[in-house]
Amino acid sequence: MLRFLLRRVALALVTLWVLSVIIFLASHALPGDVGRRILGPFADPRAVATLDHSLGVDRPLLVQYLTWIGGFVHGDLGMSLSFHVPVSQLLLRGFGNSVKLAAVAFVIVVPLSIFGGVVAALRRGRLVDRIITVGGLSATAMPEFVTSIVLILVLSISLKVLPISVQVPPDADPLTQIYHLILPSLPLVLVLFGYIARITRAGMIEALESDYTRTAVLKGLPWRTVVIRHVLRNALMPTIAVVATQTGYLIGGLVVIETMFNYQGIGQLLYTAVSQKDFPLIQAGVMTVGIVYLAATLLADISYSLLNPRIRLAGRE
Amino acid sequence: MNREAQRRLDEVRKERTELENNAIDELIAGRVSRREFIRFATVIGFSMPALAVVLEACSTSSTPTTGGNIKKGGRLNVGLQTPAGAMDPILTNDLGRLTILGQCGEYLCWSDSNLHLRPVLATSWTPNSDGTEWTFKIRQNVKYNDGSGPMTVDDVVATFKRLADPTVTGNNALSNFKGVLSSSGVTKVDNQTVKFTLDAANGNFPYLVSSDNYNAIILPAGYSGGWDQTFIGTGPWKLKTGGYVVNDHVSLDRNPTYWDSNNQPFLDGLDFKFYDSEPSAILAFQAGSLDVYTQFSVANGQGLLTDPNTTVIEIPTSAHRQVHLRVDQPPFNDKLVRQAMAFAIDRPTIITGLWNGKAQIANDHPLFKMYPSSDTSVAQRALDLTKAKSLMAQAGKASGVDVTLYTEKVQEIPALAALLVSAGGQIGIRITLNLTDSGTYYDRYWLNSPMGITDYGHRGVPNTFLSAPLLSTGTWNAAHFANPTYDGYYKDYVKAVDLSAQKAVAGKIENLLLDETPMLIPYNYDFLTAVKKKVSGLETSGMGHMNFRLAGITS
Repeated sequence: MLRFLLRRVALALVTLWVLSVIIFLASHALPGDVGRRILGPFADPRAVATLDHSLGVDRPLLVQYLTWIGGFVHGDLGMSLSFHVPVSQLLLRGFGNSVKLAAVAFVIVVPLSIFGGVVAALRRGRLVDRIITVGGLSATAMPEFVTSIVLILVLSISLKVLPISVQVPPDADPLTQIYHLILPSLPLVLVLFGYIARITRAGMIEALESDYTRTAVLKGLPWRTVVIRHVLRNALMPTIAVVATQTGYLIGGLVVIETMFNYQGIGQLLYTAVSQKDFPLIQAGVMTVGIVYLAATLLADISYSLLNPRIRLAGRE
Repeated sequence: MNREAQRRLDEVRKERTELENNAIDELIAGRVSRREFIRFATVIGFSMPALAVVLEACSTSSTPTTGGNIKKGGRLNVGLQTPAGAMDPILTNDLGRLTILGQCGEYLCWSDSNLHLRPVLATSWTPNSDGTEWTFKIRQNVKYNDGSGPMTVDDVVATFKRLADPTVTGNNALSNFKGVLSSSGVTKVDNQTVKFTLDAANGNFPYLVSSDNYNAIILPAGYSGGWDQTFIGTGPWKLKTGGYVVNDHVSLDRNPTYWDSNNQPFLDGLDFKFYDSEPSAILAFQAGSLDVYTQFSVANGQGLLTDPNTTVIEIPTSAHRQVHLRVDQPPFNDKLVRQAMAFAIDRPTIITGLWNGKAQIANDHPLFKMYPSSDTSVAQRALDLTKAKSLMAQAGKASGVDVTLYTEKVQEIPALAALLVSAGGQIGIRITLNLTDSGTYYDRYWLNSPMGITDYGHRGVPNTFLSAPLLSTGTWNAAHFANPTYDGYYKDYVKAVDLSAQKAVAGKIENLLLDETPMLIPYNYDFLTAVKKKVSGLETSGMGHMNFRLAGITS
């Protein structure tokens, strides 16, 4: 198990280094001059030149990369070119906000969609199954900005049951914070429910039709025990993989939702950074999302190997 | 004019300069309107009491003021575009930041929605006879919002020396002061007076030290950066402790040391919430999370325009979309083709369709009707397809021409571009659209395209519009227009201190630009601010400033 883990961590570190090179080159390939992006198209060229020089963006690319990556590995993420504050300060807040939103969405969507998938599989071909699969697919197919606007109009403006403002007073208790996060998490729930429920349903059907399930039934175990101890344990493995891969999306890919609800998460922060050519912020932001994604994948691998020892054994061969 | 009014007017005239008496003559003779006179009088530093006497004598009514039962206390939630960068007066170039600067900081004078200048930190100002020197009297006993002070002439001198200094990092004020004012031209005369000696004569100089030049809030002489830590200024508001979260919000409290004891703010404070997306801000306003939202577009804000619980403040501005036609490349190297394109545009329909009427018709030059110096007798261009086709035939282009139109995906600009494609198509100008994000447009295409649409913000005077995009040496000259006669007219316009002289040159410029047509300007649009009915007393300006000093919640 230790060797398995070490191998996975080493692979993750190499992946991160490759990511750092790609994102550095990609962010510098963005068209335009940093100083001009910050000062606007009508700024005097002398002002642009002095600003570029003070930001150090007129240095050779290799020097800029080595300075940045050297700082990064020592925990110094640099200063935001646009906002003149430490990148870590901006990232920490954006990341914290994204984690909060993702956590609320996860708490709602994971049990709900697993339950939906299980029920659909157990009632395969019946009306409940059709409602869950077709309804889930329809919700997934709807663009997030459409569901966001509809939910805001209905729940916030017409019925006034949920607040549109995600911002809560700094001293608000956790329940108040969760209350304000419910509305922006609902479009995420709609997007993910159909996907996770379908995967769970497929895994359940496969497990239900397997020999070990038939054996368990023939042994005379109660149906509930068969489902919980034998079917679910095997059926949930693809679901875990899907949930893990969605973590990266939930942490860094919520630009539309964050924009619609004016929520300062890491997705919106990255969008702003790209539009401003704020290299340190882009690079550190993408690396953060990358680390989260790799960590989630690693966690999924570990869960997988715990649920299915064959994966560990296969790795040993 | 009755005898008493005439006597008082004569008394006032004795103390006026020749320039000021010329302006009074123009008003009495009816050659300038009351609005034009007031605007011009404020530029040349006419004192308010003297102005009132002149207006009364000439039987004009006083300006109505807004009122209402505003109660003391309370806070307002204000939606604002997310600032595009660090809160720093020298770097500011966007609505989000200039709005915040204008709450905590103040300018020598305020440029209002009618383009009149109002004294703020300067009490009066006067030019010399040829407009090369401007002398400002500075208000005394003004404290900063951190309790320090008083503000001194040294502070004013240091502020403008910094703004005119090209070695200051990222100095965004240079685009206003280039060729107008150098650091060495700012001098202290005495403890109450500062003198600006200009690089060249400029009859509209006070606008460059007003709120129209949003970088120019007065800061202490010892200021060396870090404005986002202090929000220092002489304004009616100060930063609430921990009230600034980058990219998220700014909370301000009333400044208890504000200098104007007769006009203290009603409100306890203001909470600005930043929005990247206009639709989400409008939804927040409709859901009641915001009391004020500025600036919104007609395309997204239809619901606000018809909402009975919302007051929409409409300010005509000189902000516009400028369609450049590159004069040194086919197909627009022939002015007949440029003119043909101009005659193919149905401006009233565009204004109705894109702006729901919240824009003013423009005439393919930047001397908009709102400027008192403009010559409004020059005929307005109108849709004339027959003439347009005839011009194309005259140019030998009856079979048509092909051109690519480059522009940015911002607000209604893509829709305007589509309408231009349609207009050109009617007379054989086949336009292909190339829409990009703003950054790419300005980096790659703006100054290097045969045809493009550029977004120009409001200016209180047309000097910048007439120089950078149109002079042979203009740095924003996307049309590559080079016309020595025009360059000469521009010089004459800028140095004219007298309104009638400005008007005379303006007419020549308008006619020349209509003939040459290096650019199309179909409209200049209004600045729209949505305000909940319970809010009163908010003053906005074409530049986008919001003055909350006398705003409040009605009882």
